[in-house]
Amino acid sequence: MEIRMAGVTKTFGEDITALEDIFLSIPKGDFVYLVGPTGSGKTTLLRILNRELLPTRGQVLVGQYNLRKLRRTRVCQYRREVGMVFQDYRLLEGRSALENVAFVLEAVGASRKEALDRAGEVLDCVGMWRRRFLFPKELSGGEQQRVSIARSIANDPLLLLCDEPTGNLDPQTAGEIMQLLLSINASGTTLLMATHNRYLVDAYRQRVLELRMGRIVRDQERGRYEVDEEL
Amino acid sequence: MKSFRYALRDTARLIRQSVGISCLTFLTVLVVFFFVGSSFLVALNTRHVISVVEGELVVQAYLQPKANLEAVKKDAAGLPHVTGVKGISSEEALELLKARLGNQSAAVTLLGENPLPASVEVRVDKASSVAGVARELVAMQQVEDVVYAGKVAEKLARLSRFAEVFSLFLLIVASLAGALVLYNTIRVAIYSRKQEIEVMLLVGAMPGFVSLPFMLLGVFWGFCGTLAASVVLGLLYKSLVASVQSTLPFIQLLDTPGLFMKLGGFMIGTGITMSWLCSWFAVERHISDAMKPS
Repeated sequence: MEIRMAGVTKTFGEDITALEDIFLSIPKGDFVYLVGPTGSGKTTLLRILNRELLPTRGQVLVGQYNLRKLRRTRVCQYRREVGMVFQDYRLLEGRSALENVAFVLEAVGASRKEALDRAGEVLDCVGMWRRRFLFPKELSGGEQQRVSIARSIANDPLLLLCDEPTGNLDPQTAGEIMQLLLSINASGTTLLMATHNRYLVDAYRQRVLELRMGRIVRDQERGRYEVDEEL
Repeated sequence: MKSFRYALRDTARLIRQSVGISCLTFLTVLVVFFFVGSSFLVALNTRHVISVVEGELVVQAYLQPKANLEAVKKDAAGLPHVTGVKGISSEEALELLKARLGNQSAAVTLLGENPLPASVEVRVDKASSVAGVARELVAMQQVEDVVYAGKVAEKLARLSRFAEVFSLFLLIVASLAGALVLYNTIRVAIYSRKQEIEVMLLVGAMPGFVSLPFMLLGVFWGFCGTLAASVVLGLLYKSLVASVQSTLPFIQLLDTPGLFMKLGGFMIGTGITMSWLCSWFAVERHISDAMKPS
């Protein structure tokens, strides 16, 4: 899915400006890192793209959807095409890891068996198959994060939004997750990943958008976590 | 169909996972519908007692000396609101008088020829019809005079109208109060799942898909609660009727054979409808809030 943002500003209350005058174009199939210090607006940008937030000003077009003008049923359709890995995981507490993933598939009309089979497959991809019957409370932060990733990719989304997907993972698991995300991106999914993980950004170089105080201060193809002095 | 199967499965999960709130909802529905059913029984009994008293009201029409008793009976039976007509010939009237006088009945022989006229006793459906029927009877040529308890009929008619309004008012108030309590209980039950609803919507579930299990949950507790309320109310009412019959036999409480099947059906039907609507309103509110981007 192609993303276009024009003059997007988001304010909370009267004096907190999370994003200011963002102009952005991300072609279909791109992999983009969002970097920047805490509070720079990365999560707000992702939440706008997931249509949890509406921009105070400006237009957001994602594929065929104008996010300012979506009706309720269209929001659901849109979210079915978008996968999101939340910073706080947002798993359903009363369901096992397997059911958390299967739920997304059942919600879009898959049969119980199809949903469970596919859920098992994606949990296997993130290394959680052996723990598929455990409930979120019984999983560590990193494990919950992996279930959250599995849930976001179960539906083969056209756009994948990841908010710190490797924040709670050890370097080896983070690397494995990164490989998984790159393979998903290679199949044509547009991917935006907010991260503080300097090692991953530098090791798997992609387009980097750096945000500071709600503004884009750097947009660099195959960039590093910090400003690349060589360029 | 897949969605419905999912909804049934998820409803079972919701019941299993929230025993405390489920018990609270069940008890609330039970108590609410116990009071709604009790109000309904009070209303029915008030009307029943009044209709029994109304049924006792009689218009006595005394006939002309040469009148044809059978013809008057037939004419009276054809009048609107008349539920029964009984003819009393002058001979029968004399016998009744003798019976009433008892050992002083010999005094009647002093009268010589029987002076008592033939009459018809007319029963009407309700007190408010008495005056109209009496007017119709007076207008008949063969009727000489009409006697009826005019003041009593008037008061009874007023009481009957009041009872009708009071019953309706009682039922509406009980139902509204019940609906309000039920709505708030279901809202609290759904509020505990607020986060779950939000997450479901965030991952692309349609509002109908999210709300159906919660609505089925409401219907389930509505059914169980009203069924239990009907059984409790039925047992208590049966024992009340038995105890009133033995201690205050002049008060006739309503005790028709199909009464509790009908009342139970009414309560369960109302309970299911009310629970469905309350769940729908409550869950829809959460969905609207969750879908609204900030």
